[in-house]
This record gives sequence, structure tokens and C-alpha cells, in this order.
Amino acid sequence: MTAALATRPLETRRAEAAAVWQSHGVPHRRIEEWKYSDLKAALGEKGIGEGLAEWQVQNLPAGVEMFDLSLPDPPDWVKAHFAASNGNVMGAASLALSAGGIAFRVPKDVAITAPLKLDFTGPGHVRGLLVLEEGASLTLVEGVGLTDFRNVGFEIVLGKGASLEHVRISPVAGDSVLVEEAFVHVAAGASYRGHFASFGSKLSRMELQIALEGEGAEAHLSGVSVLDDKRHSDVTSHVIHRHGNTNSTQLFKHVVGGRGQAVYQGKVTVAKGANGSDSSQTAKALLLGEAAEADLKPELEIFADDVKCAHGAAVGDLDAESLFYMRARGIPEAEARGLLLQAFLEDAIAEIAATDQRELVRTELLTALKGIA
Amino acid sequence: MLEIKNLHVAVDGKEILKGLSLSIHAGQVHAIMGPNGSGKSTLSYVLAGRAGYDITEGSILYNGEDLGALAPEERAAKGVFLAMQYPVEIPGVTTMTFLKTALNAQRRQRGEADIDAVGVLKLVRAKAKSLNVSEEMLKRALNVGFSGGEKKRLEILQMALFEPKLAILDETDSGLDIDALRLVAEGVNALRDPSRAMLVITHYQRLLDYIVPDRIHVLARGRIVAEGGKELALELEAKGYEHIVGQAA
Repeated sequence: MTAALATRPLETRRAEAAAVWQSHGVPHRRIEEWKYSDLKAALGEKGIGEGLAEWQVQNLPAGVEMFDLSLPDPPDWVKAHFAASNGNVMGAASLALSAGGIAFRVPKDVAITAPLKLDFTGPGHVRGLLVLEEGASLTLVEGVGLTDFRNVGFEIVLGKGASLEHVRISPVAGDSVLVEEAFVHVAAGASYRGHFASFGSKLSRMELQIALEGEGAEAHLSGVSVLDDKRHSDVTSHVIHRHGNTNSTQLFKHVVGGRGQAVYQGKVTVAKGANGSDSSQTAKALLLGEAAEADLKPELEIFADDVKCAHGAAVGDLDAESLFYMRARGIPEAEARGLLLQAFLEDAIAEIAATDQRELVRTELLTALKGIA
Repeated sequence: MLEIKNLHVAVDGKEILKGLSLSIHAGQVHAIMGPNGSGKSTLSYVLAGRAGYDITEGSILYNGEDLGALAPEERAAKGVFLAMQYPVEIPGVTTMTFLKTALNAQRRQRGEADIDAVGVLKLVRAKAKSLNVSEEMLKRALNVGFSGGEKKRLEILQMALFEPKLAILDETDSGLDIDALRLVAEGVNALRDPSRAMLVITHYQRLLDYIVPDRIHVLARGRIVAEGGKELALELEAKGYEHIVGQAA
């Protein structure tokens, strides 16, 4: 697949993206996948704009190669992988409406222990590319800067046996409209772990398209959100098991107060012939008020045999029995509620393998829960 | 210590307790026995302060204070402890974290200093051994995957840790085999103390073979219908509730 792409000039790929973008335009609520996240309404008269958003590399570990995508003469690894996936509307927009971004590569069999820390900042559109060659491993910590509107299109390519943990933390971002698409290709024996912590904004959407392309490929997605006031957070994922004996798990937990809105739309497709695949999807939300909203939509599409797929979604309030039990043992109501909310999120937090990042997310969640409980 | 007078309690508008009176002094162990649906659990919940159990008439005085006016956590801090029939499972909170949080929450309300993690661990370990509560149990999420016996043992461990003045044991014998029952009863007996009162609520006489009460009250249809010494339990066992409840009606 990538070998064939390398023969298509970058200009052709951009032109294709522009065509996709022009034929669709800004997504709105009457388009099924955007039903709960009306981008057009959120942007209002300002529209989607053009121009290049910025990025800041907070930590570039030794051994990671970097290339600025607005520069001429990209190296072969960029040519091979950049803009390979452009069928997605906002992904196509990120390519069509800006001419730059940032690319990273971890060479074959190199294990990077320090995290690569990357923040996207400022308004506009931007592309990211991360290539882990065969047997390479890395932790990517992605920060989300506040701005009016930003659209990030991020391609992640994992070679055979490569291993990436991707932790993205989206802070409370008030009026920001933040959209990101990640296109993740996972080769045989490779593993992608993605964790998405979100504290919400006017509209905040993380879209994931993940292809498990070889025997033993794995994707483990998890996320937590704590949303108050009118804050919104949307994780929309599509995991495609293209090959047999691939494995995917998803676990998303949301705590929603005020007029907050949590959205999880997760689709798992097991392609024809991808026999022996295994997938699970769980999304749960606790609603703390009458006006809080959670739209949880797990979905399965199976074209193969002998697969194990489980999915479930649940929306509820804090368990009254548990609350009484804690209070009867002397824990004041507010503290008991906080502890129960934290406990509710705990299994999704525990999915973060990197200790430092897990503790960071836990600390930020505690702070947010204090405000909401 | 506990003075219940003409207590009427409604749940969802339906009256369950209909004029219950009872008084317990420090150092005493009282048992409440009664058939299913007599109001035993309602009594335990109203003493602990569960929402939805409304006192419509009468009063509960605890050391001279109106217990009904206090939040559940305030009652706990003042020394009221309810060992529950069905201890709740709480995934995501380890047992040790829960014990530490609860102990310090009670202490804080009493104006006492927090005990640090090491201090709490020492206290817990000292009590855990005799109740056969393992280190591994303390690391697990609260009551999650615990057997019936483990849950009840952990309730008694909490009782030992919090050192309440008034301990209410709601059907602590339910779901226990004879060995587990003996272990739990020994744990309870070890906590008998001249400064502590206990109210043991049970359907069966069996538990009272091990925790011998000073006084037994028979609860039926929301009222105390018979009272007596420990021999009353044997009479109930021999003749059944219908005999005594029927006489009273």
C-alpha cells in the first residue's frame, strides 16, 4: 500500500484532498457522523478559514528525526507516508487548506524511552506525521493549545512490531472549536495505545481511523472526560480489522455536569477474511444534572467468521447505595461523590501505560472533579 | 445511650415502623429478632440515616442528641456504626484507601488530626489478622469479588478500626457458613466493652448462640411485640415466630 503511494506525487495527493474537501464542505448536524457535533453551527459566520496552525515541540528525544512539512524536498519516509489517507472530510481540509505541518520518524528497532512532547497551537489547519519503523517504540504526548478554531490531521504509521503510546490531553478550552483526525496504520505485530483525556470546549472532536493491517496488530483506545458548563467533547472512532487475529479494545468514561455533552461514536469493522479477530467496546457516562447529555453509540460491522466482538454503553447517575455506604462510614457527601466519580473513571485511567502521563491525567481529573462534584 | 420512643418510619409513603420503643445502655448487647418484612432492616437504615427513610412520628435520642437531625457521616463521626447486610462493592477504590479515607474523615469531623498512610496500615494490620483479612484483600477494590464471608469480615474489621460507641449489626449472619459465623462472632465479642452498646439484628437464633445478648426484642409488623432475656431466642427457635407474634396480636 505504502510502496504504491510513494509513486504518487505529493501534489496529486493534495489535489485529491482538495477535491474531497470541495465536494463536502463544512460538516453539520444533518450529516450522520456529525449529528452530535455541529461544526458548522459552532463555527458560525467566521467559517473554517485557511492558513497554517502552529506547533511546538516541547521535548524531542534523541533518536527521533523531525522534518518541517512546509519545507521543500521532503525525505523519502515523508514521501512514502504523507497524505496517504485523505478520504475523511476534515482530514482532507487539513491538507487542502494549509501547506505545512510537522513530521517525525523513529528508525528501525530504536526504542525511545523519553516521551516526544508535541503541542498544536494557534488557529488554522495543520498536518502531523509520525512514522515508527519496524520494531521501533515511542510515547507521544500531545498537548492541545487554546484558540478560536483549529483542525489537525495526524497520520501515524506503525511498522511491523512497532509500539506507540499516544496520550492526548485536551484542557478546558472555553470557546475553542478544536477538531483533530488521526489516521493510524498498524502493521503486523504492532501496537497502538491511544488515550484521550478531555475537559471540553465549545466543540471538541477527536476522530480516529485505525486500520489493523497485519497478523497480531493491536489497538487499545481509552479516554476520560469531565465536562461542565456547556462544554462538549466527542470521540469518534472507526477501527478496521483488515487482517485476521487482530485485537482492539476501547474503554471510554465520561462525567458530565451542567449543560455538558459527551459524545462517543465507535465503529468496529471486521473485514472479510479477518477471521479470529477480537474486539471490545465500552462507553459509560455519569450524568450529574438534568441538562447534562451523553450520546454513546457503539457499532459493529462484521464480515468475517469466528470473531469475538463485545460492545456496550451505559448512562446513569452515581449509585445511591455506594454513596450511602461511604457516608455511613463517615465520609462527607461531597468527598464521597468525588471519590465515587474518581473510582468510576479509574479503569480508563489505568489504561495509560506510561506512569508519568497516567499520574498527570489523574491529577488533572481530580482537579476537574472537585469543580464538578 | 440509645433511646427510641414511639418511632414511626415511612418508606415511599408506606409506614413500616409503627410505634417502636427501645432503649439500650452502654455496655449492653441487645438483639432484635423478627420475621421477614417485620421492619428490621428499616430500623437499621433509619438509625444510620439512609435517605428515603422518613421519621413521621416519635424520636431517636443518641446520648441525648436527636439522631434524626444528623447526616449519616455525622452519625458515623459521633460513633454510630452499621454493619450492613449487603456491603456495597465499589470498583476503583481499593479497600485500604477506603479505610484510610473513612477513618480520617471521622477523625476530622471530631477535630482530631489525620493519621498518615503508614499509621493507618499499622492499625488495620493489627486488627486484620484475627479476622483473617489478608493483605491481598486490602489491596483489592472495596468488596469487589469478595465472598460473602470476606465481606462480613471486612465489615467487622471496620467496626474494630472505627471503635464505635453504638454498633448495629444487620443480619451479619446471613450467607455465612458455621466457620465464618464463628470467626465473625468472635470478632464482635472481642469488641464488647463497658463503653459500647450493640444492637444485633437477626432472623435466626443461631447467631445468638455465639453473640449472647443481654436482652432480646421481637419485632413484628413494625412494633416490638415481645421482650425478654436470652432464653427468648430459644423459645422462638422452638415454637416459631407465629406463636409469639400471634399471641401479641
